[in-house]
Amino acid sequence: MDFTFSEDECLLRDAAREFFATEMTADRLRRIWEEGGGCDDRLWSALAELGLPGILVPEEQGGLGLDEAGAVRVVEEAGYVALPESPLHAAWLAPFLLPTLGEEGRARWLPRLLSGEARIAVGIPGDLAVEDADRAHLVLLSEGDALFALTAGSFRCEPRTSFDPGRRAFAVTPSIDPVCIGAEGARIAAELLDRAAVLAAAYELGLARRILDLAVEHARQRCQFGRPVGSFQAVKHLLADVAVRLQFARPVVYRAAWVVAREAPRRALAVSHARLAAGQAARLAARNGLQVFGAMGYTWECDLQLYLKRVWSLAGRCGDEALHRRRVRQALLVGDTVPGAGDTFAEN
Amino acid sequence: MKVLVAVKRVVDYNVKVRPKPDGSGVDLANVKMAINPFCEIAVEEAVRLKERGVADEVVVVSVGPTQAQEQLRTALALGADRGILVEAEADLEPLAVAKVLKAVCEREQPGLVILGKQSIDGDNNQTGQLLAALLGWGQGTFASEVVVEGDRVRVTREVDGGLQTVSLRLPAVVTTDLRLNEPRYASLPNIMKAKKKPIEVTRPAELGVDVARRTELLGVEPPPARKGGIKVADVAELVDKLRNEAKVIG
Repeated sequence: MDFTFSEDECLLRDAAREFFATEMTADRLRRIWEEGGGCDDRLWSALAELGLPGILVPEEQGGLGLDEAGAVRVVEEAGYVALPESPLHAAWLAPFLLPTLGEEGRARWLPRLLSGEARIAVGIPGDLAVEDADRAHLVLLSEGDALFALTAGSFRCEPRTSFDPGRRAFAVTPSIDPVCIGAEGARIAAELLDRAAVLAAAYELGLARRILDLAVEHARQRCQFGRPVGSFQAVKHLLADVAVRLQFARPVVYRAAWVVAREAPRRALAVSHARLAAGQAARLAARNGLQVFGAMGYTWECDLQLYLKRVWSLAGRCGDEALHRRRVRQALLVGDTVPGAGDTFAEN
Repeated sequence: MKVLVAVKRVVDYNVKVRPKPDGSGVDLANVKMAINPFCEIAVEEAVRLKERGVADEVVVVSVGPTQAQEQLRTALALGADRGILVEAEADLEPLAVAKVLKAVCEREQPGLVILGKQSIDGDNNQTGQLLAALLGWGQGTFASEVVVEGDRVRVTREVDGGLQTVSLRLPAVVTTDLRLNEPRYASLPNIMKAKKKPIEVTRPAELGVDVARRTELLGVEPPPARKGGIKVADVAELVDKLRNEAKVIG
């Protein structure tokens, strides 16, 4: 089995990284936060122009035809710059969700989504709010056996506050009847949660890497007692712990993306494992990064706070830690899963 | 009209370059390489001419090592139609590059040639001028605006005293300055499409060009490190130091 990413996937990752590094600097992010957070129209247009909304859309429908396993590194790069990610994540869920609206729904929304003309927002099952719902032309809500496809005027948005100024979250109340998808509803809701959780996990990997890079840089430059603070073991070990946790989380997330892309068995286990591993790596990075910086790291002027707040606010989205722990426990104790490497690459 | 654009593979502008320990050149081991920023502006201008319907085809050409195909692919992703790589040793003199480009121009017969005003590694600022002289074509260097009007091209040049506008009969050679345009990002679909666009590979010998060096590189060394500054108590002390220590005023 070849575990390496293809040349195309690396090429796209590099292009996205270059774009993000130039366009999504900490200063730009701070400005976006000051102006209300979320993904503004200018940023969305730039993302669409680059072709990012279509990376998971099949080539014959105008996209790039990547699958989750190939796209995961682009998501990681988005996390590295704390890109206001919600409309992109929604776009990446669209190829899965839009077919439930029928051919007409897909034909109506997909081309507009790819061109950047339309934005969609997706309510993830279990999440209390829908990100960027007020700017969306279409809001998709999956609830039980029902799927709501809400266009302007067919729902009410009530803003929710967050300690993360980058979030633009709303409670959405539909004022129309849902599209009834019957028994398919539960399956779609479960798969939607898994797909969103993989994206969130990859995004957390990027956030953790950014926090680690910032903390390492700070530890190299900040001097105490005539030496850089990074030369002291107590500081060095904080950072090494994060590096190890991150390194161990990365293949778990890549594997989960592969499982989702190939519809391999035990998807819930792989996804929840990834979400736990990435989430823990990101939260450890946030905690240790803040220790290395000291209280200054939380101040508005310090770039570190931008990434810390994203980590903390992501923790409760796309399934919290308790939910993912429960799913892993269930798979291991109730299901037929054998823990260990032997099950890792089972294809069916 | 066909537009020919020359692109060069250089060390990425974000990289802090270091000389080799033996001083024989710049250390390129494991260094990120990229398309020369001025060449990127040239590609962007050519693509804009095509989008405006002025140009029919944009051909990018690079003279350099095999790896320069990466920079040609970048140019193709930005919107160029096809590429030509003239494989040669990495460090050619501007005269040799100009001779190679002249041979390519004679074969391709472009209506306009656009180059960066200089590359950020050698900073020679010679190739465009040499190419125009070798071809006997008009040249508009340091362009901040390029407008094609019938069989002429109007080039606004950035010169020391301000802006100078020249009108050249086509075919002509234009070199780009920083403010000519802001290059676009290559979109992800275009990056994928660029992989399918053709790149022709040739060699200077096949074009009948002698690229032997006429100059000898004696050594490369880093600039001297800056010394720390000092604080002076008042203007009188400053003047004294400038006069007696730095000896920069009489």
